[in-house]
Parts: sequence; structure tokens; C-alpha cells
Amino acid sequence: MEQLLTANVATNLYWLGRYLERTEETLYEINKAYDAIIDIDKDAGVKLYKKFNIDLEYTNASDFLDKAIRGVHDANIVNIITQARENTIICRTHIDFEAFGEIIELHTLLQRISKSPLPIDYKDIDLILSLISEIWCAHTKRGHRKSSDYFFKLGKLAEEVDLRLRFDRNKSVTEAIIKDINIILNLLNPDAGLQLLSYDEEDDIMESINTVMKKLIIED
Amino acid sequence: MPNSNSFAHDYKLVIFCIFFIFIMLQSTKENILGVYMLEKSTEMHDRFWEIFSQQDIKKIDEFKSYMDRFAVNFNLYKDGNFIEQSLPFDVIPRIIAKEEFTKIEKGLQHRVTALNLFLEDLYTDAKIVKEGIIPQEFVDSASGYLKEFVGFSPSKKVRTHINGIDLVKDSEDDEWVILEDNLRVPSGVSYPLSIRDTYRKIYPEFFEKLKIEPIKNYPKIITDAMKHVNTGGINVLLTPGRFNSAYYEHSYLAKESGAQLVRAHELVVIDKKVYFKNYNGKKVLVGAIYKRRDDEFIDPKFFNPESLIGVPGLIEAYLAGNVALMNAVGNGVSDDKGIYYFVPKMIKYYLGEEPILKNAPTYLPYFKEDMDYVMNNMEKLVIKDVAEAGGYGVLFGHSMSAIQIQDLKATIIANPRRFIAQELIEFYDEKCYLNNELKDRKADFRAYVVMGEDVKVWNCGLTRYALEEGNYLVNSSQGEGFKDTWVMEL
Repeated sequence: MEQLLTANVATNLYWLGRYLERTEETLYEINKAYDAIIDIDKDAGVKLYKKFNIDLEYTNASDFLDKAIRGVHDANIVNIITQARENTIICRTHIDFEAFGEIIELHTLLQRISKSPLPIDYKDIDLILSLISEIWCAHTKRGHRKSSDYFFKLGKLAEEVDLRLRFDRNKSVTEAIIKDINIILNLLNPDAGLQLLSYDEEDDIMESINTVMKKLIIED
Repeated sequence: MPNSNSFAHDYKLVIFCIFFIFIMLQSTKENILGVYMLEKSTEMHDRFWEIFSQQDIKKIDEFKSYMDRFAVNFNLYKDGNFIEQSLPFDVIPRIIAKEEFTKIEKGLQHRVTALNLFLEDLYTDAKIVKEGIIPQEFVDSASGYLKEFVGFSPSKKVRTHINGIDLVKDSEDDEWVILEDNLRVPSGVSYPLSIRDTYRKIYPEFFEKLKIEPIKNYPKIITDAMKHVNTGGINVLLTPGRFNSAYYEHSYLAKESGAQLVRAHELVVIDKKVYFKNYNGKKVLVGAIYKRRDDEFIDPKFFNPESLIGVPGLIEAYLAGNVALMNAVGNGVSDDKGIYYFVPKMIKYYLGEEPILKNAPTYLPYFKEDMDYVMNNMEKLVIKDVAEAGGYGVLFGHSMSAIQIQDLKATIIANPRRFIAQELIEFYDEKCYLNNELKDRKADFRAYVVMGEDVKVWNCGLTRYALEEGNYLVNSSQGEGFKDTWVMEL
């Protein structure tokens, strides 16, 4: 018998995957920009946040780190992880026990960082990334995959596509990810015939993903 | 030839030396651990302390870390703000001897069987009322009594599926006393379940060396109870949602029992049958619903048309026998503290036996004789509002001013059915390790009794302790703490 999931749980698993991937990838980019701001390119952070449609202002590398992690803007890492925690609480019945604990720990860490009067420590970023890696590991170690795992994975892949498009990354890899998404769509609802077109055929890939998700998860 | 005086002197010296060594040993232990041995320790307690004294006391902090990491929370609204907090936990377990627990077990099985028979009778033939054991007026005025359900008998005639019975141990006669029956939506079971797992990881020695009854079977017990009454279909646990105070418990029990965790709008009723709405639009038949919300919020079509929550048509499906609801609708009548007074009479009436576990001595101002007693002795009584729960509506005569007592007397005279009065029970304190010191705190015990094919009492329970010294009111809703309960064999 197929695994039963409410639309609410499926949606929250999907967004959990997206938020974790968004946090991880953004932090990698923040690390790169931080390094560049020190002595190579003072505007590296401005350029990075332009890709998120955010005008970020900072005085130096440390200030950039601070604004990127806990500044008042939509790509604020603290807020993204607060959302991820909320997703986790809602769908905890379908999440790996250890992964659940790591997400709560990640949130606690970011809350501490956000409230600390001290400057952001780059080592904290390493710690956040390490916790996210552990969450992926806890998730992937499961031998038998269920629908809940696929929704989580689907979120991760959708976010990967989003970020690859924003950063204008290698097209062939993005194409491969779209194929993976199609495989999962087919596994989750083989009767619905939900598929994304290829990279070149889609006018707006993210819009298509959103449309497909609305058809995959039937709210009522 | 020995001098008798010298012998007496030597004897006294030996006694003194033994006493001195004993005191030294005690104080050394105290210095190392900062704890005292229990004054009246039983052999089991001695064994506990023996192992405890060898443990790394700093590990206690790991319990809090665990509860934070896995969000073992109890949600509260304070000043309009939603707060997720972990319940205060005390590392020293309540220890109940297996033999003693067996008596509690029998008493609870007895009581819950009688309560189930009472509810079934009340909603069908109402013989107990017709025969004058319980006054009709008393039943009619119970807030949880739902006349609309008269004539309906639920699946397998089980109504009291999951019950939380609150007890204390009276220090005067060493007997366990029932304080309250919770036959609607008793909560709290997930906390001892979660903490036991942690206890085993942090301090495995206790479980290796002592014969502590295992407790992991609770989800299986409720699954079996659901299976017993299931009308054909899947099991679901109906939660008010993520912002409910006991949401952690709902998700924990759903995960462990395999029931789907659902909110009201994730169920739909079609042709008097309840369906689970799967993410892909498929509808899956539901056979049993473990509802974690009060009756009046489960079906807006039946109870309150203004309500935005609930499953429209659920009661129709229930009355058609197409779904089982756990606990049965209408059980609130037996949570009424006035009805509690009659439970010993119910046991005699339905089972023809004396109760194994006693009620606290209770007076109903509804009866003239009891009213007189209450009016003349209010200073030493505990007054309870019959319709309140969660530790609310409880007043202690000894802590009220003369004016407050006068006001309360007037309120009781104006509405005698609304109150009960109980003798204050001097129940045992439990040792609690608070702020690196051992302290005595009042503690009650909620036992979980599950009725399916038979009546099972879980080998554990929720021991709740008061945070403040001398406080007799212990309830999670009042922010009090909890500890593990070990049923142990010697």
C-alpha cells in the first residue's frame, strides 16, 4: 500500500527540502563572497545579493557576513531556518528522528547567533553547513524510500534548479536535475502524467515547477 | 571477672563508634553528591541511591538538551504570545513496587470497567438513574452530558478507550487515593515515554541492575485498542493542530502508533463515511479516530454551526456506526467532579464489589447534610468547581481569607451543584533534585488505562510535582514539572 500523506505534510516536506538547500547553497556563496570582499572584490557581496533581488549594503567583510546572516531582508538565513523548523515540527511524523534533532539544533544555533551581540564568527557558518550535511546524510541513509522522502528530495531538487538559474550555472547539470524531478513526479503520482519539459522548451522553469507542484499536491 | 560498669561503658563506646562512622559516611556522600539518603528509604530506594551515587551528576543536563533537541514541548499562550517550552523534568524517578502497582492496576481496571458500564448504561437504559443511585437532576446538569446521544451505543460498547486517572498516595494510611477521572482527552503520556528513552541512554546502569518494568508497549496498547473498535479503515489521530498545547504528544503518538496525524479539514465525510484526504486527491476510508479535542469542536454541523473547526458530518457517520471515536462522545459527564462522587457507588452497582481504590473523602453541597458540613468546615477543605480541569477552579480553604471564605460560601449556597468539597489529603512528597539539592515536593500520579478487548494499565504513568514547596496543586497546565515513574521488582 502506498504511504499516506496529507497535503499539508507533503507541502511542508517539500518546503523543508527547499529551505535547507537554499540555506546550504547560499552559505557556500556567502563564504566565497566573504573571502573576495576581504581583498579581491569589495562588491562581491553586492553582486551576490543582486541575484536574490536584494540591495545589500555593508562596510567590510565582517559587516557583510553579519548582514547576510541576520540582516533585515528576504534571504536572511535566520528566518529561512525558522521556516524550516516550522516545516519540521508539522511533518515530524515523517522525518528521520536524527534529522529532526539536527534541524532543531540548527535553529537553536541560528537563534543564538541572531541574538548575540558579538560579530558573526565564520566558524559558525562551518557549523551550520556541517549540521545541514548531517541532515542530508540522516535522510539518505534510509534504505527504503517512501513518498515522504521523495517530497523532501523534490524540494531539494527544485531549489537546486532555482539557484542554478539565478547563478546561471551549467545548463547540462540543470537539465539532469530536471530529469530527476520528472522521475520523482512519476513515482509520486504515476497516473497524473506530471512532467517538466526540457530546459530549452520551458519558458519559465520555476513557474512550471510551481504549477506542477499544485497539481501534485491536491489541497482539497 | 569483668566489671559490669566497664562492659556497659565499652558497649556504649561501640554504639557511639558505629553511629559516628555512619554519620561520617553520610556526610562524605553528601559532600560528593550534595544529596541525602531518603529518610524512610525502602530497599528499592536504597538500590536506586546506591547506583545514583556512582553516576556522573553532571549528566543531568543532558536531559534538558535532549528535550530541546527533539522539541519535547508543551505549548502555552502567555500574554497573547505562543510559547513552546519544555516541561521541567526531575531526574529522580518515583519508584513504585511491582506488588503495590499490581494493586493499583487491579483497582484501576475495576474503576474503568465500572465507568464504561456507567456510560453505556447512562446513554442507553439509564438504570442507575432510574434506580435512584445517581439523581437524574445531577446527570442532566453535568456539562459533559449530551442528551442527543441517548440511545446510541458505540463500536463494541467501548466508551472509555484511553483514560487518565489521577491518584495520590495518602501519607496517613499509606493508601493510594483517586483524585480525578479523565475520560475525555487525557494528555501527558508522551513525556514519560520520551524521557525513559533518554534515561536509558544517559544512565543505562539503572536498567541493567534494577528490575524496572519496560514501558515501550504503550503505542502498541493504543493501537490494539483502536484495532478492536475500528469499523473498517485506517486509524487517524485528530489534532487541533500545531499550536495546540499537546501537539508534541499528538505527533509522537501518531508516529509511534502508525496512525495518520490529521487536522479536521484533512478528513471528509461522504455518505456517512469518513475519509482521509491523501495528498494526491485519493480518499481513504477511516475506521477509528483518536480525537485529541473536546467533543464540542469535532463537528460544526452537529454542535456549533458557527465553528470553523471540526469535521462536518462526523457525528452522523459516528451514529451510523461507520467510524469509531476514541474516546466516545459524551464521556465528559464522568469527568464532572460531582459524578466522581458516585464512582464507588457505580462499582458496587455494576460489579457488585467494593472499590479497590478509594476516592478522596468528598462532599456534595447538593445534599443538605454535606452542605452543612462544608459550611462548618470550609477552612480545612478543598473546594473544586465541577466543570473545571487542568488544575483550574481549585480553592484551598486553609489559604483563603475570612472574606474570601464568606464569598465562597455564598457562591456555593447559590449554586450547590457547581461545587464539590474534599478533605485535604496529606499526600506523600517525592524527592526532587532541584538546583543541586534534594527537596521535598508534592507529587501526584496520572495512570493511563486503556480499554480495548480488555482493560490494560500501562506500567508507568505521569508523576507531576509542584515546583513550589508546600504547593498541593500539581498539573502540567499550571507549568509544574514531571518525573519518570519506575515500577520495580525487588
